[in-house]
Amino acid sequence: MVDKPGSTKGKAIPINWNKIPWWAVIVAAIFLFIINAVITNPSYLDTLSFLSGYTMWITRGAVTGVVLTIVITIVAYVITLVIGLIMGLARLSKNPIIYTIATLYVEIARGVPMLVLLLYVSFVGIPMVISWTNSLGAAMLTWTWLPGFLHGFAQALVDYNIRNVSEIVRGVIGLSIGYGAYSAEVFRAGIQSIEKGQMEAARSLGMSYFQAMRFIILPQAIRRILPPLGNDFIALLKDSSLVSALSVQELTMLGRQNVARTFRTFETWNMVALLYLIMTFALSFLVRQIERRMSIEHR
Amino acid sequence: MNTGKNIDLNEDAIIQIRNVYKSFGTIEAVNNVSLDVHRGEVVVIIGPSGSGKSTLLRCINHLENIDKGSVVVDGIPLSSKANINKVRAEVGMVFQQFNLFPHLSVLENVMISQRVVRKRSFAEAERIALDLLEKVGIPDKAANYPGQLSGGQQQRVAIARALAMQPKIMLFDEPTSALDPEMIKEVLDVMLDLAKEGMTMAVVSHEMGFVRAAADRIVFMDHGWVIEETTPYDLFENPKEERTRQFLSKILH
Repeated sequence: MVDKPGSTKGKAIPINWNKIPWWAVIVAAIFLFIINAVITNPSYLDTLSFLSGYTMWITRGAVTGVVLTIVITIVAYVITLVIGLIMGLARLSKNPIIYTIATLYVEIARGVPMLVLLLYVSFVGIPMVISWTNSLGAAMLTWTWLPGFLHGFAQALVDYNIRNVSEIVRGVIGLSIGYGAYSAEVFRAGIQSIEKGQMEAARSLGMSYFQAMRFIILPQAIRRILPPLGNDFIALLKDSSLVSALSVQELTMLGRQNVARTFRTFETWNMVALLYLIMTFALSFLVRQIERRMSIEHR
Repeated sequence: MNTGKNIDLNEDAIIQIRNVYKSFGTIEAVNNVSLDVHRGEVVVIIGPSGSGKSTLLRCINHLENIDKGSVVVDGIPLSSKANINKVRAEVGMVFQQFNLFPHLSVLENVMISQRVVRKRSFAEAERIALDLLEKVGIPDKAANYPGQLSGGQQQRVAIARALAMQPKIMLFDEPTSALDPEMIKEVLDVMLDLAKEGMTMAVVSHEMGFVRAAADRIVFMDHGWVIEETTPYDLFENPKEERTRQFLSKILH
């Protein structure tokens, strides 16, 4: 058979050196270097074992390190989405009180640095709320007309101590409040981006405002805001390192402890950075997959 | 014109609009309009753009909040939230821009309100939806998404979607204005069928073919006022008002 002109059969396909994603090659090389180090170098293996939370789990049965970072991120993100949806809807409310409360929240939470917000929520906000519920419980116990079945509840309010709220819970609440404000704006913008006619059509079919939101507006809005919501997820994962300031033993905190324990600064921070990178890469891959599936399912 | 329909003019009108005012800022869109539509009647509202005809139509199912006056639909005054939802379930609306739900298939578009508002079973809603798609002539597009349909097909789905609630009244807000000329007829044919079946209809449209064939009454509006209320015959043969004559001479070429 005679090759037609232009056919590539039997010839090397020319490589376009400009099109190779060099950044990915370099990242892969770093991965390989560190994997090799972990396998061949016992001090790297020890660092990985400590940072992943394995050592602490074996010796003390405590969830720490990478595992704790993942748990904090996921729980905080779920709460963030709930706060974001509610506050996003509230920002669109025609009721001036609801609108004002939501706007106040968004502006304050976005205006304070995340680290300061975390410290404030943990050491000012939550203790304040607990002291309020303590005094509420004490007041309830003095009400003679209080139904009997609420006595136990009132007593529990009085007994609840600020020490019962762990640093992890405080960190999760702080992160959720901070990121809830960002995602509230994302939800608001997404809902506003849906044409007015969609709500009118839904309402003209007899749906209530909430039915129209649930079945018509939000399904369309969520598809549009998936990329920014995914970004928030990744940013939240990275900012979860800030809860180390509350002495929560997540990945970054364990990094510090490992340095104090072994003086292996270089290995430790290499490994911490790498573990965060792996998590964010995996997450952005996941977000891209979800986006792609949604765009195939519905055009 | 005699359509052979029995419209009982002694019965209370199914739509009673009384002294309605609506303004947007300084623009007075609807000015002291009163209008009755009886059961089975087809009323067409015409007028130049910005004359308030669409706004008046949207007042009937409270998509616009009226400033003054009253609207009573099928004996229910549009006064409370609960009443508004009740009225909306009985009044179907078709929009100029179709406003189909792009994330739902054609079949789901016609089913969703039946499931959510009427609480029908899936099987029943599906059966009604398929019957209606048959009726508007596109049963083969049930599984498609709105984005894959032509304008005329989309508008017919929109009509089927409104009919799925089994409304007592249908409102049409310039249903053919956004369509290519060759698609107008397929939508008008569906509307004519509905009119023949005795559906109560309030239509904002300049399709004079439809007016001649189906309208029982014409309302001419300008600057938010009702200028003239007449029959199609009188409108074409001897319009009383000068303003109506000017308008007709412009649209009838």
